[in-house]
Amino acid sequence: MPTLEQKQDYFAGHFNAMASPCEILIDTTDEVIARQITSIAENEAKRIEHKLSRYRENNIIHQINSGNKVTVDDETARLLDYADKLFELSDGLFDITAGVLRRAWQFDGSNNVPEQADIDFLLPLVGWKKIQWENPDITLPAGMEIDLGGIGKEYAVDRTAKLVQLFFDKQDHNQQQVSVLLNFGGDIAVLTPKNHPGRSWTIGIDTGIDGDAVVGSKNNTHTLIALTAGAVATSGDSRRFLIKDDIRYGHILDPRTGWPVKNAPASVTVATETCTDAGMLSTLALLHGSEAETFLNEQGVDHWLRW
Amino acid sequence: MSKNIPPNTHRHKNVKRIRESLALATCSLLVTSPQPSMAEEYQAPWEIDSSLLIYSERDRVSAFKPVLALRKEIGDDEFIGFRFVADVLTGASPNGAVPTDTAQTFTSPSGESSYTTPANEIPLDDSFEDFRLAISADWEKPLTDTLKGVFGFNFSIETDYTSIGLSSTFSKDLNQKQTTLTMGASVNFDKVNPQGGKPEGFTTMPTPLFPGPPPPPGEDDEDGDDDDGFFKGESKNVGELLIGVTQIINRFTLTQVNYSIGNSSGYLNDPYKILSVLENDGSGDLRTGDSPYVYEKRPSNRTYQSIFWKGVHQLANEDVINISYRYFWDDWDITSHTVDLRYRWEIGGGHYLQPHVRYYQQNAASFYRQTLIDGEELTLDYASADYRLGNFTTQTLGLKYGIYFDNGAEINFRVETMRQRGETESSDAIGKLQNVNLYPDMDASIIQAGISLDTDIISKFLNKAFRNN
Repeated sequence: MPTLEQKQDYFAGHFNAMASPCEILIDTTDEVIARQITSIAENEAKRIEHKLSRYRENNIIHQINSGNKVTVDDETARLLDYADKLFELSDGLFDITAGVLRRAWQFDGSNNVPEQADIDFLLPLVGWKKIQWENPDITLPAGMEIDLGGIGKEYAVDRTAKLVQLFFDKQDHNQQQVSVLLNFGGDIAVLTPKNHPGRSWTIGIDTGIDGDAVVGSKNNTHTLIALTAGAVATSGDSRRFLIKDDIRYGHILDPRTGWPVKNAPASVTVATETCTDAGMLSTLALLHGSEAETFLNEQGVDHWLRW
Repeated sequence: MSKNIPPNTHRHKNVKRIRESLALATCSLLVTSPQPSMAEEYQAPWEIDSSLLIYSERDRVSAFKPVLALRKEIGDDEFIGFRFVADVLTGASPNGAVPTDTAQTFTSPSGESSYTTPANEIPLDDSFEDFRLAISADWEKPLTDTLKGVFGFNFSIETDYTSIGLSSTFSKDLNQKQTTLTMGASVNFDKVNPQGGKPEGFTTMPTPLFPGPPPPPGEDDEDGDDDDGFFKGESKNVGELLIGVTQIINRFTLTQVNYSIGNSSGYLNDPYKILSVLENDGSGDLRTGDSPYVYEKRPSNRTYQSIFWKGVHQLANEDVINISYRYFWDDWDITSHTVDLRYRWEIGGGHYLQPHVRYYQQNAASFYRQTLIDGEELTLDYASADYRLGNFTTQTLGLKYGIYFDNGAEINFRVETMRQRGETESSDAIGKLQNVNLYPDMDASIIQAGISLDTDIISKFLNKAFRNN
């Protein structure tokens, strides 16, 4: 059950989904509206979690990973098309089949770095182009897996933003739209009322250990940014890494080599129009390793890096 | 703690700009979405109101009238609307002549067509046939928080009549919207182009015995109207002003009072209406010295006013009572009273029944005559035997049944019966006509079916239908 908390002049709804704390800030004093929006967000976050989680056995991802030809629904098809496009745009850096490499890499803070032989054993199972994807049918070669978790949380934020917008559009005219901030574990979008600028939300980008953006914190270790519209997403490896021989192996793996991307920033935060775009750009920046900043400058988006 | 490794310098990847392509891909990921469907910008649906009405007078005119009204919210409380009406009329209409004990034959002004009425029957012009198409559009726009404007345009065309009009109405809310003042104005520019030529008032209608001179070729144009082109014919201009107050008395009761004044000028005759001319010997026979029928003649100006009151009250059980009364008067001396009562009975489950009672009583125009005496057409200024200008009452009884659905759609059916009874004017009932009903009494019925819905409901329905296939 989500919780709802009345702040000074807004409501904050909380729930957990997609292995993250989720927070919904609604610039209203109307508890009914706040509760409805929080509930919309929770339902959508949990729907997408259930649908895309690779840990479940009763969803479309499990069916696909079982290796038989699967005819997918419209939403899954669009996600697969999107992954295909990302693979192409990133020259293979972004690959939803890379998850099998985790069988070799356990990012538990230990010094348990795999042997090259372990990696070589897994690499034939990596590579989006080995998959037969012809909308709406997908067939995976034996042993391969896909994982849409790298898109799921950002996608859930944007989807929820649309549902909340729809909720306001369907209200009668007396119910004015208010600013709503959606924060799914650091992936954030602000929904702005159509007719007025709305509220400016202050977001602290964690420059400490934690790596995730937090909202409303006045802590000095945070870079504070004001968000009235658009989205922010952060990718980082600060919590999941290995250290061996003074080398820090971040959890961002290059699917082409099977090894962690070298010299990647600890975290990358990107602000742009949609949370999905922001998330993909920050992930791709990490995959560019030491070139992360160059990559982001080339994109011309607002970004914050921590090395 | 981990080391902070500074970015090193050797490039091993090509850095390229992908932001636009990525945004495009994200767009197609997010825009077209599974249910609930979500357009980028929420578009209000078109509200559709459609009905089909069949009006049928016993032995007289029948009308078939489909109506389609569309309305859409295009901004905050801003609406546009369109209305399309077609009207197909066929049948026979009283021409104004009185029944006689011999058959009567009538001819159009140009002499091109004629029809015969058997003895002792009210003469009906059975050549009555028309098709009318009307289109109107309006734009409702909030001007301030409490002031709203509605601007309208209308156009209609039929075989012998064209009308074009403009209107605007302003509503001002006062007292926290408990009171609304309304002011409106409209103008209409009409053209009458009678089939078979335009008869001059009080000229005789040709008969087999009195064929009369053929009408001069190329219609006279003494009024200077442009008879060429689309809007040809005789002009009729109408202007109307309305002021009104709507007052919310409490949550359940609302009352409204309107006053309106209008003026029409130009060609106000009905070109198909005639009067019977009797011998001046008191026999009640049609005159034999000349054609016994002359075309009617009305003043070319009419100013009319009305006061309208309406009360709407919702009962505790959600039933609604709707009462209205209108008093109308004009400078042709017509006065009328209309009382209208509707009771909407909410049966439950989305069903309602609405009985309807209407009573209309009219006092005749000063120049209304059922007959003329030979020679009167030379001395009178105006005369018309059009039954619609006479003394009569109309009673209407109706019942409407409707069912409305959770999604806002409604289907309804209405039946009504009308009974119109007029008076025989004793001053016009001369000699043998004294025992004849000179007023063409009329009974009519209305059947109507209507449906209201919007395009969201239709697309949901279609989606569902396709999914099921």
